[in-house]
Amino acid sequence: MDFLLLLLASGLVSGAAYGLIAMGFALIFKSTGVVNFAQGELVMLTAYISFTLYSTFDLSFFPLMLVTIPISMAIGLALERLFIRPMLGEPIFAIVMVTVGLAVVLRGITIMIWGPDPFNFNAGIPTEVVELGGVPFYPAQLYLIGALAVLTAAGWAFLRFSRMGIAMRAVAANETAALLVGISVSRIHAIAWMLSAAIASIAGVLFAANFKLAPDLWFQGLRSFPAVILGGMDSVIGSAVAGLVIGVIENLFQGYVGQGLREISGFIVIVIVLMVRPFGLFGSRDIERV
Amino acid sequence: MLALNNIQILYDRAIEAVRDVSLEVPQGAIVALLGSNGAGKSTILKAISGVLYQEDGEIMSGSILLEGERISGAAPRDIVRRGLLQVPEGRALFSTLTVEENLVMGGFTRSRSETAAGLETVYGLFPRIKERRTQISGYLSGGEQQMVAVGRALMGRPRLLMLDEPSLGLAPQIVETIFEAIVKLNAESAMTVLLVEQNAQLALQTASYGYIIENGRIVLDGPAETLRSNQDVQEFYLGFSGGERRSMRDVKHYKRRKRWLS
Ligand SMILES: Nc1ncnc2c1ncn2[C@@H]1O[C@H](COP(=O)(O)OP(=O)(O)OP(=O)(O)O)[C@@H](O)[C@H]1O
Ligand SMILES: [Mg+2]
Repeated sequence: MDFLLLLLASGLVSGAAYGLIAMGFALIFKSTGVVNFAQGELVMLTAYISFTLYSTFDLSFFPLMLVTIPISMAIGLALERLFIRPMLGEPIFAIVMVTVGLAVVLRGITIMIWGPDPFNFNAGIPTEVVELGGVPFYPAQLYLIGALAVLTAAGWAFLRFSRMGIAMRAVAANETAALLVGISVSRIHAIAWMLSAAIASIAGVLFAANFKLAPDLWFQGLRSFPAVILGGMDSVIGSAVAGLVIGVIENLFQGYVGQGLREISGFIVIVIVLMVRPFGLFGSRDIERV
Repeated sequence: MLALNNIQILYDRAIEAVRDVSLEVPQGAIVALLGSNGAGKSTILKAISGVLYQEDGEIMSGSILLEGERISGAAPRDIVRRGLLQVPEGRALFSTLTVEENLVMGGFTRSRSETAAGLETVYGLFPRIKERRTQISGYLSGGEQQMVAVGRALMGRPRLLMLDEPSLGLAPQIVETIFEAIVKLNAESAMTVLLVEQNAQLALQTASYGYIIENGRIVLDGPAETLRSNQDVQEFYLGFSGGERRSMRDVKHYKRRKRWLS
């Protein structure tokens, strides 16, 4: 029983990281139709920047994020303007290839600046263990789960009630019609990249605080893919939930079936899910009615 | 109010969809643009709204003027801000959004208070969609969807409203509701209308002036009554059986004209 609880708890922690990264994916995919293969690298780069800010100014977590997030948003905006915007009108496949190239470049730049050795980075989060329902947690673990909860709620409210959030869904639904009501589609794309980069930085910092800050952080982007697909690619809230599901499943597999199965269990799950529901658990089935 | 001067439009820099089209929509008028499938009607509306680039279309020559100012080349958002709104062909709703979200997006360029007032106006015109305000628009009936599409455009406070085949595939009763609303807005708030239709009967009853386009060219234009009583239009457009005169010239004429019937 205790073993199960522990597995569930650590599953929720790694699942929260998947969920956050998947949310960033979904946000860009939903409003621009692009699968951003550089999302993992965005997570990595922003975490390293945050690390430098932390070691330079010795900030605690919230002030640190207050500085990290705007910088990350600026990076997201710059990437969109410099590399994605000029590709407008090209086939989606070509744009996706640009993000693949971008991923390699960002990875290279990060390793060039910060080197290949891992750092300890607690992001200004306290380190004394706290106990919750008999399960011991590090505060960083609770911050990660808390961040997912807060961002999921905020994301839901934003997409549902704010004009900009509704406009984002409108662009996803019908780009030409969005232009015809006066929505600037390119501005929506830029906002999607900015918000996605903000979420990436939160994911990156909290992941690094829980595990370590190392150049293989980008790989979490790929590891989050089952969550992205399970969430249905374009559901921001769905990806968050799917992240938790995948995290828990992975840990249960590891605990009860075998070590090596952890890595592939997520992918096994999505194969099964896709056979039953091709649009993921939460994705939008295209509404077609004439 | 709106003037197109010798517009030529190419798709993919190769396919000529519109050639040398000039037309004028005077302030406060309802003008009809009639033509059969593929004549170039939607292409013209897309050019006016500035969204041709989405389909690799381009205005190669000519100009589009709104109150004497050139709008060809302007961003769609700026064209909307200047009060030029379009109800696109096939409705093109934001199908995953609710009815009210669709309408609120229609007022995207307007202030919050204008949006609130706009909702009231639209729901007043189309009470049926008020009942469905929280429903996902993609699941509405075709008629209800068309009301949402018209309502969404009205939310942008159009000074000139363009409608692309609003009657297509709808029951007569719904067509009547929609056309009544348009005529009412035209009469009461001086909203100018450019109406694209294949249903010439309906369009020429509603409009005061009409243009007939065929293969990307304007082949005939005139006041609605003149067009209605025009022999060619009657025979080949309104579906009246023709008179007795049949010269060779008429036959040739017929062959040319009948294309916009098919
Ligand atoms: N995206 C496009 N790319 C290439 N050619 C196009 C495109 N859209 C339209 N065309 C061509 O341009 C011409 C005019 O098309 P348009 O859609 O304007 O006609 P329409 O008068 O609106 O017809 P309908 O009554 O069927 O809607 C047609 O020959 C069509 O094949
Ligand atoms: Mg058309």
